Amino acid sequence: MKDTRLWLAQNYGPLLAFIVFALMFYTFIARHPVGLTVPVATTAANKAVLLALIGMAQTVPVLTGGLDLSVGFMVVMTNTVASVIVVGSPLQTALGVIGVLAVGMTAGFINGAIVVYGRLQPIITTLATGAVYFGIALFIRPIPGGTVNYDFADFMTFTVFETIPTTLVLLLIVVVFIWIPFRRSTLGRGCYAAGSAEGAAYLSGVNIDRSKLAAYTMSGLLCAIAGLVLTFITGSGEASGPQGATFTLASIAAVVIGGTSLYGGTGTAIGSIFGAFILRTIDDLLFVFDLPPLWQPLFQGVVLLTAVSLGAFAVIRIRNRLDLFQ
Amino acid sequence: MLARPVIFAGAAAALVAAAAVSPAHAQEVVSGPASVEQQCFTPFAEDTKFFKFPGKEPPYKIALANGFVGNTWRIQMIKTLKAYSEQPEVAPLIDELKIVSTGTDVSAQIAAIDNFINSGFDAILTIAVNPTAFGPVIRRAKRAGVVLVPFDNVLDTDEVLQVNQDQLEMGRIMGQWLEKHLSGSGKVLEVRGLQGNSVDRDRHLGFREVMDGKDYEIIEVVGNWDDGTAQKVVADAVAVHGQFDGMYVQGGSTGAVRALMDAGHPFIPVSGEGENGFRKLCSQHSGDGLKCSSAVQSPGLVAIAAKTALTALQGETLPQYVSVPIPLTEDPDWEPGVNYFPDLTDNFFAANAWPPCGVNITATEIMAKTEADQ
Repeated sequence: MKDTRLWLAQNYGPLLAFIVFALMFYTFIARHPVGLTVPVATTAANKAVLLALIGMAQTVPVLTGGLDLSVGFMVVMTNTVASVIVVGSPLQTALGVIGVLAVGMTAGFINGAIVVYGRLQPIITTLATGAVYFGIALFIRPIPGGTVNYDFADFMTFTVFETIPTTLVLLLIVVVFIWIPFRRSTLGRGCYAAGSAEGAAYLSGVNIDRSKLAAYTMSGLLCAIAGLVLTFITGSGEASGPQGATFTLASIAAVVIGGTSLYGGTGTAIGSIFGAFILRTIDDLLFVFDLPPLWQPLFQGVVLLTAVSLGAFAVIRIRNRLDLFQ
Repeated sequence: MLARPVIFAGAAAALVAAAAVSPAHAQEVVSGPASVEQQCFTPFAEDTKFFKFPGKEPPYKIALANGFVGNTWRIQMIKTLKAYSEQPEVAPLIDELKIVSTGTDVSAQIAAIDNFINSGFDAILTIAVNPTAFGPVIRRAKRAGVVLVPFDNVLDTDEVLQVNQDQLEMGRIMGQWLEKHLSGSGKVLEVRGLQGNSVDRDRHLGFREVMDGKDYEIIEVVGNWDDGTAQKVVADAVAVHGQFDGMYVQGGSTGAVRALMDAGHPFIPVSGEGENGFRKLCSQHSGDGLKCSSAVQSPGLVAIAAKTALTALQGETLPQYVSVPIPLTEDPDWEPGVNYFPDLTDNFFAANAWPPCGVNITATEIMAKTEADQ
């Protein structure tokens, strides 16, 4: 009984995000003219998984008490890289995928190295590196284009056994084989420790530097996976500034809706996944409700504000804010 | 767990449906010209393909998957589409009109188009946020027999119907008009648009095609198609280069002319975009020497895109790439209430009639949509 209550208390944010998402998605499907068919689920999954990965990428630096403004641009950069090297024969495509992941990890590692060894604020560091990554993307693809391996892209944005969207399977793989092992590792726990009380963690012998480096590198890796998904969805690459900025802002929103504290130390990438799903379902609700087109941004904003506020209830309920840090 | 059988059932239904509809709805490449209204549906180039879709019985479900919303052009575009869909000869053809704006995220716009395809819409209009990213969704639209019509920001493909004005030609027209008024020599200010955009590139190239190699000194500044920016850069150019004999503004024409007036620069021939404010100034100061020509990339283009989609759905042959005639008004043809509107804001785009296409949406009809929305 006590364990259940503790688990509930610890996972309040993600749980709430899941319930809100489930309600919203149910509304979407209930009002949808054809209901939940495979194509409808696939369409929703493709764009939701893309944002979920970016939300996860943002979560890890946030847990350490930082913020990564370059996530959107790492996605855009890896998208342009993928549009050049994920081509040709199956072997070439596979090597291309590995290359894209390596590029993402390197970019994330550079962020981490500047934050840890350069001792600069994460926000300023990633604001600058984000511009650099966007510059590299522009250099690789001055004009949009490229033709990725079509069969592979089609498979990745379609379904497994004609029932489950492939991107959902990919997300599950990322959670089970990347996120959960990372969270349970010493490095992962170090990220939480660094975010909740850096001084105490340091005095307790946690290797803060290594954890932070790992956090930013992990963020880069997740961005690269998101970049690949974006490439599969669009079948091409584009160095788009607005796209990168949109992704970065959405990733922060996903993190907050998912119940992760922007002060660091508490939260989980699972919450951010549902945060991202909520953001995407807001767009879908526009589709099933006949709102006047010029009211749509207002509607999106109000729903978003409500969703973010729900996460804050956790803070309002407690008597003493110090409880949060125990 | 509960979702799974539903998905299975849905899959089966979708497969059956797909098998039943796809062959009947395939688009064919046929020989031209257009089977109706050839003066409206003019092909973009000589080698433009012609498409014929299998005819369907009206009324149709039509969608607009817009990207960015939030400048006056887009807002006027959306209002124009609503006004067009309610015109007496169009309304009976349309069962449902749905408009969604997805912002700058390309994956969201693709998903919006997919949503419309999945829900059985007959035609989808779109202003694409990226010219190359729509290959996969084009295939899905084709498979489902949906008529996809990108317009304004068109796609790098000849697989779908597209509707646009020839931007190169627009630059040329403006150059030719200026030449008529400058007679072969002089100092010309060229105010360009958003850098990196194909529209800016094409208008510039068209303009230079006419002007280069003659006795013109052309000064180039970048105004980003924005009144504020254009006003600033023109003021700077006047301060640095002194007097000009003519000016070509790609966009932000109201601001550009205001800058001349503020600097005490004498009135000169100006070729500009179709902003209402620009045309107001042109008609007001026509007698003082402000001679203007005004050609528009009009938000009304959406009406031609809708007309193209509706015509295709009725089984007519159409050019794959429809070149929409450029609405041009020249000094001294300013007529209040017809090609400019003294009572409307400066930001209103003042050309919304295409006589060759039988499309004429009055400013009052468009602005009436404002009232309905509020």
